[in-house]
Amino acid sequence: MNKGNLLALVLAAATVVLVAVGTVWPVKAAVFYAGGGKEGLLRPSSTPEEAVENLGTQIRLLAWEKAYESLSNKAEFTEPEFLHDLTGYALSLRTYATLDSFEVQPLHQSATDAEMRMKLRWSTVVGTFQDTRDLRVVKSGDHWAVDWPLVKEQHVPPQVIPVNYLRWDVIYRGAGDDWGSQDVEAPHVRIIDMHPVNRAEGVVVMGELLNEDVVPAFVSVRATLLAKNGSPLASEGSFDMISHTLLPKQVTPFVIRFPDVDLSQVGSIRMQPLSVLVSASADPVIEVQDQKFNPAPGASLTGQLSNQSGQVVNIAHVLSTFYDKNGQLVWVGGQYIDRALQPQTPVAFHIAIPEDLAKKITNQRTVVATYSSGSSL
Amino acid sequence: MRKFESVATASRPIPLSFILLAAVGVHLPLLLMQLPLKSYDTNFHIFFASHYVHHWFNPWNAKWFAGFSQTTYPPLPQQWVAIVSWVLGLNMAYMAVQFAAILLLVVGVYRFSMLWVSPRAASFAALASVLLSSECFLVYSAGQLSTTAAAPIYLNALPYFYDWIRYGKWRSFLKAVVLFTAAAAAHHATLIFGSMLFALPVIVLALMDRKDDENSSASALVMRTVMIVLLVGAAIAVVLLPFWIGLIRYPITQTPIPHPSRANYILSPQWGVNYFIVPYGALILALPFIILRGAKVVRLRPLLLGFWVTFMIGLGGTTPVARVLLGRAFEVLTFERFSYWATLLALPILGLLVAELVDRFRMRAIVPLTLLASLSCALAVAWSTFRPADAANFKVDSVAQWLNRDGHDNYRYITLGFGNKLSRLAIMTDASSVDGESNSSRMLPELTRYGGAALTSAKYFAKPGLDSLRAMLAHSDRYGLKWVIVRDPYYEPLLYFAGWRKVDELDDKTITVWGKDGVPPATPMNASQMPPHWQGVMWGTLPFGSSLLAILVVLIPEKRRRGWQDEDPSTTPEDLNSGRMIS
Repeated sequence: MNKGNLLALVLAAATVVLVAVGTVWPVKAAVFYAGGGKEGLLRPSSTPEEAVENLGTQIRLLAWEKAYESLSNKAEFTEPEFLHDLTGYALSLRTYATLDSFEVQPLHQSATDAEMRMKLRWSTVVGTFQDTRDLRVVKSGDHWAVDWPLVKEQHVPPQVIPVNYLRWDVIYRGAGDDWGSQDVEAPHVRIIDMHPVNRAEGVVVMGELLNEDVVPAFVSVRATLLAKNGSPLASEGSFDMISHTLLPKQVTPFVIRFPDVDLSQVGSIRMQPLSVLVSASADPVIEVQDQKFNPAPGASLTGQLSNQSGQVVNIAHVLSTFYDKNGQLVWVGGQYIDRALQPQTPVAFHIAIPEDLAKKITNQRTVVATYSSGSSL
Repeated sequence: MRKFESVATASRPIPLSFILLAAVGVHLPLLLMQLPLKSYDTNFHIFFASHYVHHWFNPWNAKWFAGFSQTTYPPLPQQWVAIVSWVLGLNMAYMAVQFAAILLLVVGVYRFSMLWVSPRAASFAALASVLLSSECFLVYSAGQLSTTAAAPIYLNALPYFYDWIRYGKWRSFLKAVVLFTAAAAAHHATLIFGSMLFALPVIVLALMDRKDDENSSASALVMRTVMIVLLVGAAIAVVLLPFWIGLIRYPITQTPIPHPSRANYILSPQWGVNYFIVPYGALILALPFIILRGAKVVRLRPLLLGFWVTFMIGLGGTTPVARVLLGRAFEVLTFERFSYWATLLALPILGLLVAELVDRFRMRAIVPLTLLASLSCALAVAWSTFRPADAANFKVDSVAQWLNRDGHDNYRYITLGFGNKLSRLAIMTDASSVDGESNSSRMLPELTRYGGAALTSAKYFAKPGLDSLRAMLAHSDRYGLKWVIVRDPYYEPLLYFAGWRKVDELDDKTITVWGKDGVPPATPMNASQMPPHWQGVMWGTLPFGSSLLAILVVLIPEKRRRGWQDEDPSTTPEDLNSGRMIS
């Protein structure tokens, strides 16, 4: 063989080998685009863990058909039902969520079946949520397949729900009006409680805001930390940790976070509540049911939300304020509900509470902010 | 014997004027239709150009990122667009500059190929460049004006580079230095990575071709190479001084942004189609020949190795080569440009294949080759329709008018769901945004910390993109960010829960404007990053001046073209001539 042919052979062989190496041991970026795994291409489901991991990878790649086909109990439901279980039956946070990561934890295994816990961390526009599923994995021939625990949609019988809740409309000066240029007095709001705490991630300022007025208000709160010499240290807003629309006499908790600031640096705090007159309605009413405080370990508040109105609430944000025995504010926690609130259909919520604060808590109050798609100006 | 004569008769190169005419015929109609406006980056280049139109000597642009310096991106093509826009307007000026780059590529490929193969093969290589799918992909789908402008200038510089290091011709030295400098002023990635991949094979070729009686000892060649590298380096350092100062003061430390060109094209076949099948097209069929012929002919081996390394890097995450060779730069670079360079390096050998096939089979070769090349080109041109940068084409005039009236531009804004229309809107409005499309120009921590690209496309970057968007919205007061203009209802829940309210609806309610109350008016920011006036003068003078100088210097006539003709018997055209092989 002459040198030219040898060189050609070496380059061709090197290309094949390098492509094989890059495929069998892909670089991090390639793994990311392959769905965080190898998409079952090179990895048969020869163990229960691999079966669940392959399913997770297919879900991450939105390869619904492949994911459905890999299930051992697919005869029990259709592919659209499987898809709706993961992405929601109505428009909700799940609908456009992307699977950020997943974790597989074995619970029990025998020669023919196994139980695995799969923690799916979904990324949504308002943050991440975790969906934990306990899966049964069964051996079928030389491979394992997942028995998917489908959560079926609950149907409400046809009915008429009368709507007679209060509603406030605002007549503006004209079509050319701009937001913030109202020529009416802003609704009267007041901070009725404020409590800064030092946490590992920085200072957290919590409190409650009351709408003292007889008209609805769109509210937010801004806090500025001042050093002992009076100079500003940092300024942050409540962002989404507040219920922005407050009906007359309603109270909302708020949380303002200051990462990388220590409370010992802070001399005082300047609070700036802001309110604007807006149109509002008491509808939809969300009832909080079966609230239960679960002490440490794993301290949390659990309960259910029930939509009392006739319209679907696409996204709900639960905010809970926790008090000690003296009625002093201890903590404010929140959770976005990943499933839509169908009329008359309870949906569970779960708010985690820091372990070190849980023992002080004796009471709590919960408010719910809601978003329904297609709302007008 | 008769066969050899017929081959000799047919071995005339295709006239360059005919090839240029073919380029005009293929690309001029496409550019007149303004097809690149649908691509990913075209609006970004036009936005930069629009700034140069109004502020030639002031690279500080307040319209993106709450203020950023355009010295973060070499300016030459955009400055040419700005100049030409005085006559044609921005859109057509872009098309004109892109068209000039396409014509330059034809000449560049021809001249570069002449170093390696016969004039006839070189002419086929140049003709192939007209229909080159990687070029079409970058022009019509990616919109990479800078890459497609810089590469042809490098290709045109390389024959002068060869002439200088081999023969020590000062005229060539001057032309090479000026052209290399102009190419660097057009694109930084091509300068830093591409120039090595193109220049190294030429240096090796000059060493291989040298003859002792030509005053070209190996040491003389090395000295000349070092000399020109030093001088070009110094010239580039001066011409792009504001760029280097910015890079040193603000090195790129932001969290890498995912790009699918780094995928493994086998594990992710959809990206394999996008970044391998489309850019290479029918050239894939020629890859075995390129390897075989490149290895067999000694003079072609440096070119083959240069091609192979570039090809492997261009495969992104399909092999570990790019990650190993580029290190952290692997997480920053995108790899479609490497595939483009690989195809350019392959063209001389491809020209050889085409010449042989045409000489041997005549019309039976010409017809299928033309069909294959045309189909490859058509696929790459059509790719921006199959896989558009934006799902919907829409106008942003109403949004620009809204921002420009009633003092709305006293505040900053961001768009959500606007894709590459973000740049188009920025051209039309006086308002300033905290978002933008130039990833290397971003300094705001909310943008650099998370690994998402433009906020307007945050959802496509999943958690990192959405984290970045939430961080920016949380700090809206800091930046005077009052307006969020939404064309994708996906984002509405975040705005609703974060304290924004719908304040207006535009374009039949397909676009909504959200406002936040209590946000203070925008104030000038990032003053420490603002380049001083002298840098603005340099930026407005030297890069563009380098291109003018290049045009003038290239017009100095050459005494005689040197290249493959003067080589030893092992490199004469007979060796590369299909007639000899046939006979």
